Amino acid sequence: MALRLWASSTTNALGISCGVKASLSPVFSLSRCFSSVLDGLKYATSHEWVKHEGPVATIGITDHAQDHLGEVVFVELPEPGGSVSKGGGFGAVESVKATSDINSPISGEVIEVNSKLSESPGLINSSPYEEGWMIKVKPKPEKKNPVNTAMGFVNYSVI
Amino acid sequence: MRGQRSLEVLKMGTVNYLEALKLQEKLVSDRKLGKITDTLLSLQHPPTYTLGKRRTYHNLLVPEVELQSMGAELHYTERGGDITFHGPHQAILYPIIYLRDIGLGPRKYVENLELMMIELASLYGVQAHAGKKGETGVWVGNQKIGAIGVKISSGFTSHGLAFNIDPDLNYFKHIVPCGIVDKGVTSLKRETNMVLPSEEIIHDQLISCFARIFGYMNIIYNDTYQ
Repeated sequence: MALRLWASSTTNALGISCGVKASLSPVFSLSRCFSSVLDGLKYATSHEWVKHEGPVATIGITDHAQDHLGEVVFVELPEPGGSVSKGGGFGAVESVKATSDINSPISGEVIEVNSKLSESPGLINSSPYEEGWMIKVKPKPEKKNPVNTAMGFVNYSVI
Repeated sequence: MRGQRSLEVLKMGTVNYLEALKLQEKLVSDRKLGKITDTLLSLQHPPTYTLGKRRTYHNLLVPEVELQSMGAELHYTERGGDITFHGPHQAILYPIIYLRDIGLGPRKYVENLELMMIELASLYGVQAHAGKKGETGVWVGNQKIGAIGVKISSGFTSHGLAFNIDPDLNYFKHIVPCGIVDKGVTSLKRETNMVLPSEEIIHDQLISCFARIFGYMNIIYNDTYQ
């Protein structure tokens, strides 16, 4: 999937809602003022992302979310084998003397957690979509299409 | 959300730590259900040491029993931040507010808490500043005058800040305050050249600074919260 940078912070700040994806010229993509958004991921309105790869869903938080948190110094994650519920908390992070809970966009069974985050919690800031992934889940099948009906999935460019 | 935002202020005097914690849990729950508006608790604690979510017990420099013998309690919490002390003559504010209504993330929320304490200090001619990265809080030189430790649950806040008006700073000798080894603590009394008014006035000024920084136009005072 090609990486495209969106001015998601701008749309957020302006409260613009639009369904049209605008591509940016390279000079905007170099700006550090804008959060990055990746194609191919589903986004929850609470700024977690889910990547479905076959039977496994990987969950993390977005670039926008890590920017709003500040430098992450501590991550609390569940044990593998535990379950997560759509909209329910599965862990927490600490940054700037604030603990913030992290909610799961989908229900399922936790099959793996990112153990690198205990030694290197800052991966969430530096690589929120790649090395900063938090948990891998075997999604619980839903009555409707499981990929599209999880909590508040939206076209991230309108958040 | 536009229009006048309301803040209900509960002025509570000295409150035991666990009682205040239980009250905050109830208020967060009520706030989440929309039963109450944004609320601010203004209070003091009796001598109390608290640890944050990371349980940095190693920053307690004396055995726990010794704390008890000096009449202090120790509590474990789910807030961010390291070990700290709360006690008489230290102003505590616990905001129970919904950050997503005002578009603030954790970092901006905490920065605003720092700003309001800096503003309060400046009323007394004290030049305080926010900590550098990794040292959240309000400092005068290398000494901390205001501490922050908050918990945010789906955008709803609890815990908050502690501002040293004139607490007994000796209590801080039994901990590595906020986990930072080479820096000390100070108080408004120590830093100002002015005569301080009654603490009630300083508490009220803190509340005003909070309301101004967070844009609350309609403030409801509740002096008799039970």
